[in-house]
Amino acid sequence: MEKPFKDKTALITGSSRGIGKAIARAMSCLGSNVIVNYTKQGGSSEQQAKALSAEIESLGCKSLIIRADISSRDEVKDMFSKITSSFDSLDFLILNAARAPFKPIEKLFERELRMLVEVNLFGNIYCFQQALPLLEKSQGRIVFISSLGSRFYNPSYPLGIMKSAMEAVIRDLSCSLSERGINANAVCGGIVKTDSFKVLRQVWEGIERIPDELIVEPEEIADTVTFLCSPQSRGIKGQTIVVDRGLSNRVYHF
Amino acid sequence: MTGNLITYDTVLEETRKAIAETLNIDLDRIKPDSSLIKDLGAESLDFLDINYRLEQRFGIKMARRFILEHVEEMIGEGTAVDDTGKLTDKAIALLKIRLGEKARDLKPGIYIDEVTSLITVESLAQGVMDILASIPERCSCGSSEWKIGEELQAVCSSCGEPAEYANGDDLIVQYIEKIQAEKRIF
Repeated sequence: MEKPFKDKTALITGSSRGIGKAIARAMSCLGSNVIVNYTKQGGSSEQQAKALSAEIESLGCKSLIIRADISSRDEVKDMFSKITSSFDSLDFLILNAARAPFKPIEKLFERELRMLVEVNLFGNIYCFQQALPLLEKSQGRIVFISSLGSRFYNPSYPLGIMKSAMEAVIRDLSCSLSERGINANAVCGGIVKTDSFKVLRQVWEGIERIPDELIVEPEEIADTVTFLCSPQSRGIKGQTIVVDRGLSNRVYHF
Repeated sequence: MTGNLITYDTVLEETRKAIAETLNIDLDRIKPDSSLIKDLGAESLDFLDINYRLEQRFGIKMARRFILEHVEEMIGEGTAVDDTGKLTDKAIALLKIRLGEKARDLKPGIYIDEVTSLITVESLAQGVMDILASIPERCSCGSSEWKIGEELQAVCSSCGEPAEYANGDDLIVQYIEKIQAEKRIF
């Protein structure tokens, strides 16, 4: 049977690690070509991006690695000119990249506040603005990766502010872009054991006590993303799907 | 008994192991003077993982924040890093005292990233040693004998309670207060 995403192409921002990497794998397992994006040159992300790209190619899909910091509009523009020169279409834009200080909001320095907004709000908006003509042509999908911080308090997690803002952006896009055939949704992950979890663990006393059955695997987020990219989810527009193994329902637990 | 129960060589070895596991690289590549960022490719998330491994190993809490962040929290935003992300002359003066020879080429106006690349395997191990040296004179039970229990964690010889070390951030704050009292940099 032909793979459902054969000849499709996905850009997954921030995909050298964690949830982004799991999404890249899941998309390529379904036949999609994948653009792997990371920010920092010459470090561990670059190594991981190369390994991931080789893995995607071994599945018979095309893969392109692009280093770009999404908070820079110029770098985002460059990224999209590379995409258009290497691929015939862009079908899926997965807004996964995030970067944030982990400290209480009252303690944020101005430069940290700027970084928070520039990466996690401006950066995502730059990406979809550049992607629009391509997504319009392919009648594509946008999926944003959110977290429970968008709606619940997490200690030292100012990123939650930006996750709320982006969920609102997604709601807007699903309406404002629907005439042009583009759909947008978000996946809101619970506690996922990625590299970012290592940070949470250091600022959130007691996080280790959350039982294993409430810890989400990156693949569970990825499977929801592939669903939101598939025709089967055509009726879902502008929604944020919570994938948290029921953690947010378990108030009684604590 | 005070002073370190654990030798520097052991700490250095454990630090190298923690780095190798986090970055998934050969132990042989990790020399005492390797820069974690420049030579070994570590990124900010990796530092937290390395710290976490060391914390688990020794039963300690490593510093969550870099010395210049503490300065700004204590003395005021803009005192160590200006609004374009460049280091002030006062920040450089403090780093020269803190880092000694390694900081000799630092000049005001450099970016904070250039300073974090001065963090080496040795300096990380030294950070662990500083915390281990904060072992209290006596356990809360009154005993003054500590021993190394399971893994590399110090426990009281008498009641078996783990030693409570100072945390890395508190030590940095104390250091800044001391230097500030002596030299009035800021």
